[in-house]
Amino acid sequence: MEVNKLPDSTSNFTKANCFNKWLIGGPPFLFLLIFFAAPSLIMFFTSFRFPGEFGGLAPISPAMDGSSAEYGLTLETYEFLFSDILYAEIFLKTFAIAAVTTLICLIMAYPLALLIARSQKRFRNLMIMLVILPFASNFLIRIYAWMIILGPESVLSHFVNAILGVFGFAPVTLLFSTFAVLIGMVYVHLPFMILPLYTNLEKHDPVLLDAAQDLGANRWQRFWLITWPQSLPGVFAGAALVFIPVLGMFAVPDILGGTGDILIGNLIKDQFLGTRDWPFGSTLSIILTLLVLLIAWLATWLARPSVRQNS
Amino acid sequence: MNTRHFYVFARTVISISLILFVLSCNRQQNHDSPVFQQKRNTLFLFNWNNYIAPETIKRFEAFCNCRIAQDYYSDNEEMLAKLAAGATGYDVIVPTGNAVDTLIRQNVLKPLDQSLLPNFKNINPIYLNTEFDPANKYSVPYAFTITLLGSNYEKLQALGLPTDTWALIFEPEYLEKIKGRVTVLDSQRELMAAALRYLGHSINDNNEENWQQAKNLIIRAKPYWAAFSNTSYIRELAVGNLWVAHGYSNDLYQAALDAKNTGRNFTIVYSIPQEGAVLALDSMVLHRSGSHPDLAHQFINFMLEGKNSAELTNLIGSGNPNIEALQFIQPELTQNNAVFPDKASLDHLEMLHELDHKQRRLLSRLWTEVKLR
Repeated sequence: MEVNKLPDSTSNFTKANCFNKWLIGGPPFLFLLIFFAAPSLIMFFTSFRFPGEFGGLAPISPAMDGSSAEYGLTLETYEFLFSDILYAEIFLKTFAIAAVTTLICLIMAYPLALLIARSQKRFRNLMIMLVILPFASNFLIRIYAWMIILGPESVLSHFVNAILGVFGFAPVTLLFSTFAVLIGMVYVHLPFMILPLYTNLEKHDPVLLDAAQDLGANRWQRFWLITWPQSLPGVFAGAALVFIPVLGMFAVPDILGGTGDILIGNLIKDQFLGTRDWPFGSTLSIILTLLVLLIAWLATWLARPSVRQNS
Repeated sequence: MNTRHFYVFARTVISISLILFVLSCNRQQNHDSPVFQQKRNTLFLFNWNNYIAPETIKRFEAFCNCRIAQDYYSDNEEMLAKLAAGATGYDVIVPTGNAVDTLIRQNVLKPLDQSLLPNFKNINPIYLNTEFDPANKYSVPYAFTITLLGSNYEKLQALGLPTDTWALIFEPEYLEKIKGRVTVLDSQRELMAAALRYLGHSINDNNEENWQQAKNLIIRAKPYWAAFSNTSYIRELAVGNLWVAHGYSNDLYQAALDAKNTGRNFTIVYSIPQEGAVLALDSMVLHRSGSHPDLAHQFINFMLEGKNSAELTNLIGSGNPNIEALQFIQPELTQNNAVFPDKASLDHLEMLHELDHKQRRLLSRLWTEVKLR
């Protein structure tokens, strides 16, 4: 989120330069101020309010006729959240799903990104275009498509169950399960892993690999000692781009999940669209945002150049 | 792809989008152009999905030389949440009883002008003077549904299971035989109501201990359920994938009809469980933010005409509180006790009350536990 420094901003500090800096950095800064910082602050204050009788919020000041019993600020919502192990569990479960999704995305995206980065230049843009192509259709439609693919009467289900049958296993249902949720999550977020990885891998200098080979490194050594360490910033960027959105996702478990697939996103959505408990929804969101910031900070810290050089 | 190719590609994409855009504009011009709107009044209706027959809309539009613009919700909570978040401009809303209660207490409804509603007399008095709106100052009954159990009759006969008790979705002894072939509604209130009724309490019981018991009953039964489902059960029941579904009478009517029309070798039956069930009476109300009160009254009076009211019932199989409508409704619906309950069955039915915010938070917590465990 921080504004990139212009390359010559320190050496050649002039008024024009300063102006340019604001011209470039200002609009996104303003955008984030209005659409990220301000709503977050509103959320933060909401989390200390009492819920209104019919939804919304109870008043800050006491009602004129003294009819409203609750007003002002409270820590009650935080107490409610932290006094119950249930909500820790759902956070934990969400983080586990996000972590597994990230890992699967990484394992699937890395070879593909490497393939694209090392293919001939004229094919690269086409392949990247193909990676981005799914974005052309609506996200929900793509998820509904998985409902058909994984449904009990689908070809895939019949195929999987036929194979399981050969080995004497009981048939499984693919749809409405944690498995289906994971598939949906990986499917939606895969491009977000491929793109930063590709951007990183594409810049690697092939001369380094040649040098390693000359010095007797085999295929694996060349990968683990040369390519992998260099690609870590891409890995961390991709991981953050997958991990963080998964944390807030509620549509995928809603559509593909079974009786037990509720994630923190579903819970937050339900506080606003179902239970009409804005303070609790805000509290959950604030905690989630804080955890995400912590992870983002950790990722940048891990990806900073000095760490990479040391390792 | 080199740069030149990319430009060719981009140009093609942009031209195609432009053509599509222009085409779509042309198509819309027929009814949606601003010029057209200025000439005619527009009634803003906030309604359930698929809760008014298209031909009724057309007839009303011709009758009053106006347009009906609909927004939809699939859940009272969703409607209330949208209003609480500041949605405005709706002339008529069609909430269920408990939501009518909330809206009245929020003081966001306009009182009705009975003198503009001569057809009000068509409503069966047993659906008037509800506890939510004693003298029908704000609400006019529109249609109702009952939350009950639908089942595959032949399958359950073969398994020796009853079809008219909540035990079917709560008792492991029964569930054992139909594991993975059952869905329940993805609704905190409806599922709790069923569980409370099965335990012998009122659906509006708000004793926390009874709620805990109901929650435990649900968690014990959950492993046998295929999913929480609010809509997909209709189709799945009709094609035979599901054997038992907790659902609404109108949806189960649809499922039964589908199974019959596609010539399946089974029948879908649905009946009010003997322990009792939820009656959801939807009423038309006037929202304060609406700016066409005359048109809104016209609409309500129009919908109270027997023929217009009957169209919805014939379309979706909902219950109808309108006496004048009965003569226009297919007999297989009026003779179905699960759609048009007789007096004895009505005594078994209850309407949900609104919860206060503490109860809502507690229920949400129990629901989270149900979902997580």
